[in-house]
Amino acid sequence: MSLRTRLASVNPERTVLLRGALRPGIVVEEAEAPFSQPPADVFVLRWLGLAADTELSSEMLAMECEISYCTLGSQAFGGLDRGRALTRMDRELLEILEPFTTAKINYSVQQPSPMQTQVFWDEPSFTAATLQRDRLSRTVRIAVYSYEEQNEL
Amino acid sequence: MTSNSFAAPAPVARRVRAYFAPVERATKTHAPFDPAQINTFDPDLPPEPWIDLGWIENFVRKSTSKSAPILTGIPASTLEQTRNTIGAHLSFEFLSWTKLTMALATGSQHMNVLASLDGVTPEPAVGVQSGSTSSVIQLATGDAAGFRPGSMIAVDADYSGQTGFVGSPVSGAYLRQALTDTHYIRRITFNVGLVLGVSSGSLILAQPLPGGAPEATAKVQAITGFVDREGGSFYQEWSALFVMEGSQGDRIFFYYPRLQTTSGAEESPVSLDGRHKGGLSRVLLKGQFLALPVADPVDGERVLCYRSFKPAAYSLI
Repeated sequence: MSLRTRLASVNPERTVLLRGALRPGIVVEEAEAPFSQPPADVFVLRWLGLAADTELSSEMLAMECEISYCTLGSQAFGGLDRGRALTRMDRELLEILEPFTTAKINYSVQQPSPMQTQVFWDEPSFTAATLQRDRLSRTVRIAVYSYEEQNEL
Repeated sequence: MTSNSFAAPAPVARRVRAYFAPVERATKTHAPFDPAQINTFDPDLPPEPWIDLGWIENFVRKSTSKSAPILTGIPASTLEQTRNTIGAHLSFEFLSWTKLTMALATGSQHMNVLASLDGVTPEPAVGVQSGSTSSVIQLATGDAAGFRPGSMIAVDADYSGQTGFVGSPVSGAYLRQALTDTHYIRRITFNVGLVLGVSSGSLILAQPLPGGAPEATAKVQAITGFVDREGGSFYQEWSALFVMEGSQGDRIFFYYPRLQTTSGAEESPVSLDGRHKGGLSRVLLKGQFLALPVADPVDGERVLCYRSFKPAAYSLI
């Protein structure tokens, strides 16, 4: 949600129409209906590995987050600007990842409530861009950390 | 109203930010940092006189203080300890080359290279007019024509034969005997700036001059770069503050009231691509420092540095 809010600020024009609602162009894959192929010009976030450090005074969870995105460029340029479009998305992603921390919020209750700790993450790791037909895409991996709090579960 | 707490593990931080402030050498006055500021200290807008030098790398601090036992009894056993010596060293690498980072990373005097048309004679200095501020330098009609956007300038007074520590508020040199070079203070001053705009009677600077608004006797002279040297008798001395921002809003401050550079100029090349060692390298300025003692204003104890910690909100203490 934090990245969504930040994206709306960084580039209000990057939006996606989902279930009849226009939203900032970032979606969590597991929270949406399956799509046959990833939507273009949208950041798709997916959670991968999980690790826990139970030795600490508060248990720390580490989750690997993968953010993938692709573009076909714009119709105005016949898709020939897809390199620039991907670079723009690279730039936007770097911007929304700063600062590398955000408040931890409990969304499992009816009124989302801020918790005591912060979720934080490490430097993003960008993979090489790949071209499939006219679709240029990239994947970024980020290690995301959080502390378990009292009464969290 | 009640709330929850959490048991915060050790702080997690990505990097260290460095702030420096000049020590007034003649009066031995260092820059203060009151730990009461740890809640209000704005990393992007540090209070005066602190100058933000950005992120640093490979920050290592080491205590070299030595204790010795006081032995008593037969067989002897330690009754108490006594602190024989106090010492602290510090090293890190600056990520940028500026007047200040170069000066801090060199063990000796750091100088400005005065611009010259013939390679020998410095271009003339022009007088600062009233109404100047730290960001806008007022000049007499016609004098501004000698500068253009992109010019680098040094702003300080003519040298008039003084000895001892030279330069204020930052001492840039120590002279044991008088010189005849009129431009000497502008050669060693830290009051340097980049010109971004030129009008008929003023220069607009990219950043405020470190010394604030120039004095009435100050003059402006173009410079082309910086130079330092191995040797000489002068040591840089600065107050330093290092801040580590934790992931939970916690903060660690390291305050060194007096730091002197201990080594000569040294660079650390870091390969831009770890897989291609022989390729492009970023050249970092390596700084190594020795902490000097001050008297704690509260109890008069001799101390070298302070570590302050602001715990994360709601973390158990």
